[in-house]
Amino acid sequence: MKTGLTLGSLLLAIALLGMAPAASLADHHEEVTNPDLKCLKCHSRNLKKTLEDGEKMSLKIEVADFEKSVHRVIGCTGCHRDIVKGEKHPSREPIASRRAYSLKHNQTCSQCHEDHDADFEKSIHASLVRDGNDEAPLCSDCHTSHKIQPRTDFEPVNGEPCSKCHVDINEAYAQSVHGGARSEGNQIRGKFIKAPYCSDCHEAHEVLAVSSADYLVETCMSCHEVAKLAHEQWLPNAAMHMKSVGCAVCHAPEAELRVNLQLFDRIKQAPVRRSEENITLQNKLAEIDPNGNGLDPVELWKMMLNTDEGGQPSDIKLRGRLEVANGVDAHRLADHSEAIRSCESCHQANAEAFQNVTVSINRPDGRKESYKADSKVLSSPISVDSIGGFYAPGGTRIRWLDALLVLAIVGGLAVPVGHFALGKYLRRKNGNKSK
Amino acid sequence: MSPPSAMEQNPGKAQDQKIYLHPLPVRIWHWVNAAGFLLLILTGFQLRYVDLFSLMSFETAVHLHNWIGFFVIANWFLWFFYYLTSDKITNYHPDLNAASFFERFFRQAQFYGQGIFMGQKRPHDVHPSNKFNPMQKLTYQFMMFITVPITFISGLMMWDVERFSALIELVGGIRVVNTVHVLMFIMFVMFMFVHAYMGMLGPKPSSHYKEMITGYEEPHDED
Repeated sequence: MKTGLTLGSLLLAIALLGMAPAASLADHHEEVTNPDLKCLKCHSRNLKKTLEDGEKMSLKIEVADFEKSVHRVIGCTGCHRDIVKGEKHPSREPIASRRAYSLKHNQTCSQCHEDHDADFEKSIHASLVRDGNDEAPLCSDCHTSHKIQPRTDFEPVNGEPCSKCHVDINEAYAQSVHGGARSEGNQIRGKFIKAPYCSDCHEAHEVLAVSSADYLVETCMSCHEVAKLAHEQWLPNAAMHMKSVGCAVCHAPEAELRVNLQLFDRIKQAPVRRSEENITLQNKLAEIDPNGNGLDPVELWKMMLNTDEGGQPSDIKLRGRLEVANGVDAHRLADHSEAIRSCESCHQANAEAFQNVTVSINRPDGRKESYKADSKVLSSPISVDSIGGFYAPGGTRIRWLDALLVLAIVGGLAVPVGHFALGKYLRRKNGNKSK
Repeated sequence: MSPPSAMEQNPGKAQDQKIYLHPLPVRIWHWVNAAGFLLLILTGFQLRYVDLFSLMSFETAVHLHNWIGFFVIANWFLWFFYYLTSDKITNYHPDLNAASFFERFFRQAQFYGQGIFMGQKRPHDVHPSNKFNPMQKLTYQFMMFITVPITFISGLMMWDVERFSALIELVGGIRVVNTVHVLMFIMFVMFMFVHAYMGMLGPKPSSHYKEMITGYEEPHDED
């Protein structure tokens, strides 16, 4: 009897001890459901798994974080679908690396978030992932794994998650008119204006390559509705300027600028993209300037000769656009009172805006593949045809025409002077004959 | 058969033997056009050479250039419709006998190159319906029907690049349009010098200038 009691008490004690952590979790985290408590029983401890690449990955879940996660309602197995009741826990299955594990779970997210996944697949981030770039963000890199906040709370106070990778850009943004307004309660000149954050301009999931910059102008206009009208009030050829000059060129006055000559198919009305059908053109680009010292006007002209591709009708030209030279500068947007308004900053010879020239072809994902070009291409008579679509009076003027003008002035003065001198000579000659 | 009277020979001749060469609309057009072209050249220089001189801001130069450009275009139409609806259009009629025309053309050139200094008679007799000598006729036909319209059209394209984008694309792009416009500008700069000088080659240096003010031909030495 004594023995039986002792054995029964021992079994009860073991059972109670086994339940103790779960009971404790349940006491403190009422929101966590029972099935998840079973998981957290182990995963709230400092468990670690050695990955195939040698890294020791923590398996610990901060219960408080998980409790606040929007995914709490679907529970652990909502995402970890490989864990099935009655089947063997996959703890012993090998994991190649932390990245490989994140990649696997990217697919998990798409099972519920189809729309976001479809948007993500169109993004530059997904393109980098497909290229095998281990730095490219996956769902969990931005949203975390177990601390997934509701969208309403996803206020990126410190620039996160974008700033995790785009540190310099975030710093530039923080000092910009947008960032400043954001940190000062969205106040610009005493008015409440909801200043944009990264995703307001670049979208949250369909983050496009900046080379598809056309859409960015539209994005600026979506808030600055009166900008078009305001520019038309004073800026000659306002529509053309807005098409071939990026907003930040004038509105980020400290920015470094460049002229990008983008290969553009006038029949398809789209930038030329690297693809099999454009292989001849791509090869030409690589062959023409093997030293990488920049395309001169003749090289550019040669490149544009016979751009027909594989018998397909094409009308490829270089579409010029003045833009900021780098992404960081593009975010240094100043208050409109500081914007460049002086036409002379571009419309004169040797203007800084036209010293940096690139020729670019788009990769399939929209990223630019740029080749340096000599700034002389903008003022050479040889380029009249090859970059026929880009011209800034004064700034990219053709120097040979200057010489022709000087010749015309000299010639115009020489006619009266020469004719007068001829008259003097003939009269004297005639006079001598008369004598 | 009695010879025709002076009036019959030259119906433009008034009683004081002066020929009424330039009707008022033509004179108004000429001087407005001259002022317009000078201002267009001036503002054009400013637009193209901000780095060399700054008579006015680039922005002001653009607006002035555009407004004056429209004014000069309207003025061209005044000239065009005046000639189109008057009997003076004969001044611009092409000479169908090329051999005869060029024979007179070279005789005129020879006069300017030599005869004018020797006191020779002018090879071309002016008449209200045929007031231009062959050199003038060819020059003005070329200027008024080719150079000026090309300048206007290319200028209009650059005034609003987006509005005329299809046409600009058709001719090869804005750089082509600008190059053509600047070539015309260069031609006009030279024309202005030569035209102003040729204006002094009348019977007296001021004769042709006076004619363009009063409308009447100034008396020739040989008259």
